[in-house]
Amino acid sequence: MKHFTSMEDKLGLDKFTAFEKSHLKIKPGSDPLVVERKLFICPAKVYELNDKGEPIVSFENCLECGTCRVAAPDEVDWMYPQGGYGVTFKFG
Amino acid sequence: MADEKFDAIVVGGGPAGLSAAYVMAKAGMQVIVVERGEYCGAKNVFGGIFFTNVMRELIPDFLKDAPIERNITKRRFAFLSSDGEFGGDFKFDRFNKDFANNSFTVLRAKFDKWFSEKVEAAGAMIITGAVVDDFILKDGKIAGVKARMDDGELYGDVVVLADGVNSLLAKKLGFHKELSPDSTIVGVKEILSLPEEKIRDRFGLNGNEGVAYEYFGYAAKGAIGSGFVYTNKDTISVGVGATIKSLLEHKLNPNDVLEHFKNHPAIRPLVRDSEQKEYSAHLIPDGGFKKFSKLYGDNVMVAGDAAGFVNATLFHEGTNLAMETGKLAGETAVEAFKKKDYSSESLSLYHTRLKNSFSLRDMKQFKNSSETLDKNPQLFDKYPDMIGDLIAELFTVDGEAKWPKERRLAMKLLTSENPFRLLKTAIDMRRVII
Ligand SMILES: Cc1cc2nc3c(=O)[nH]c(=O)nc-3n(C[C@H](O)[C@H](O)[C@H](O)COP(=O)(O)OP(=O)(O)OC[C@H]3O[C@@H](n4cnc5c(N)ncnc54)[C@H](O)[C@@H]3O)c2cc1C
Ligand code: SF4
Repeated sequence: MKHFTSMEDKLGLDKFTAFEKSHLKIKPGSDPLVVERKLFICPAKVYELNDKGEPIVSFENCLECGTCRVAAPDEVDWMYPQGGYGVTFKFG
Repeated sequence: MADEKFDAIVVGGGPAGLSAAYVMAKAGMQVIVVERGEYCGAKNVFGGIFFTNVMRELIPDFLKDAPIERNITKRRFAFLSSDGEFGGDFKFDRFNKDFANNSFTVLRAKFDKWFSEKVEAAGAMIITGAVVDDFILKDGKIAGVKARMDDGELYGDVVVLADGVNSLLAKKLGFHKELSPDSTIVGVKEILSLPEEKIRDRFGLNGNEGVAYEYFGYAAKGAIGSGFVYTNKDTISVGVGATIKSLLEHKLNPNDVLEHFKNHPAIRPLVRDSEQKEYSAHLIPDGGFKKFSKLYGDNVMVAGDAAGFVNATLFHEGTNLAMETGKLAGETAVEAFKKKDYSSESLSLYHTRLKNSFSLRDMKQFKNSSETLDKNPQLFDKYPDMIGDLIAELFTVDGEAKWPKERRLAMKLLTSENPFRLLKTAIDMRRVII
């Protein structure tokens, strides 16, 4: 079976229209390690730490499920993206 | 839009919101539906089987042009161990006739869009690509909503909140607390394309027949969850769901769980030679009756996932509960419209109707299911292999006489698990299932 397994390839199957501003934020003052402790759960792997240990939020890959919001309510500032932007499912 | 005033504003163009809008528009109310997706369905993901018992009441001839994928005639419930499966299935020809047991696979991006066109034809207005962020209050009461756009204020006598599982709006009203990780399931899914002929051959189907396979036990790599395989016309839907709490505890990413599921020896042959078309994720509110939101207040009602109406037990029902609650909210609004009274007292009729409906009755029956599963993690990590090994050994043809073998296996079971715990798990499970 020659299926994509990497996140990058899987997300490449979907249609995204990125808005200029992020709809996701890590709240100021949060411990960046929340990325490793909790936000690994994001099905699109939107949250990562860079070499300096700072969180990177690739909001343009967000599937808008809300998992991060429920997993880390104290650290994630979550809202829906601008209407008409974000992911558009063709099948759903 | 500022000077327009509607009789009703519906937030969310999923099955709940569209049902409410359909009922109200048919009764002559001026209705507007606000949907954040590019079209209704653009953001919506489910397994799944669309259960059409309420659709049949609203649009009796929906089968004429609804984008149905297949009639579900066969359902399978299986337990996965790490290398095998055991389970049971049923298939009835009667489910292939006429109303097909109200169980059809659909693709939500197409189905919700089709439904929205019916709602427009019934006279409602639908705006898409508009996300509602807040309410407009007048004298402390809801007088409308604010969409995040220029001139985004919309005024209306009553607001039906049908904004789905992440109902930031119901939260804003203080109608419910935040979703909790132990009773919220994240589902991830892939759409895989396969030629129609191959789907028929692989799953043993005639014509438009389809299957729904549900997998429990070790389906979610040890987390509390399950997996599914559903057949569409020329695609199959494959996915897994698990509670956020148990994924966090097991340090699992949902996509890794899905990869594990797709590569399980019981699943791999079902998905082989297919081509991936889409990857998606969505939450399921599994808090049940206990975590329900407040359902109505002055000038507002909440329906569908936004209020927590999902029966995630064996039945996996959500779409019909969304449609039923949306329909009842719509009917209540019509009564309020006639009386010109949208007070909380007038809208309490919604609750009265819910109490007599299957929607609330089912939610009450299964009110403990997510808690029960949360207390029985052994069903998802220890038991699958414990039971799987027993079955595999019992049926291993190795020359051992049956009676001593059965005794040996019974002893093995009793030494690997406390018999009282085993019995208690069995009793707990029965409550979750029926
Ligand atoms: C993995 C998975 C499998 C499932 N399987 C099944 C199954 O097999 N059978 C079944 O019956 N049910 C199933 N369900 C449950 C079912 O999908 C839901 O119960 C049902 O879709 C709920 O309908 P709804 O209208 O309440 O919400 P939704 O369908 O979520 O609709 C909400 C709508 O509101 C819009 N919206 C949200 N917020 C805003 C806002 N602020 N402004 C404007 N628009 C907004 C959204 O874009 C969306 O269109 C499954 C769910 C999942 C996640
Ligand atoms: S909403 Fe879902 S996809 Fe988007 S960042 Fe959060 S967890 Fe990831």
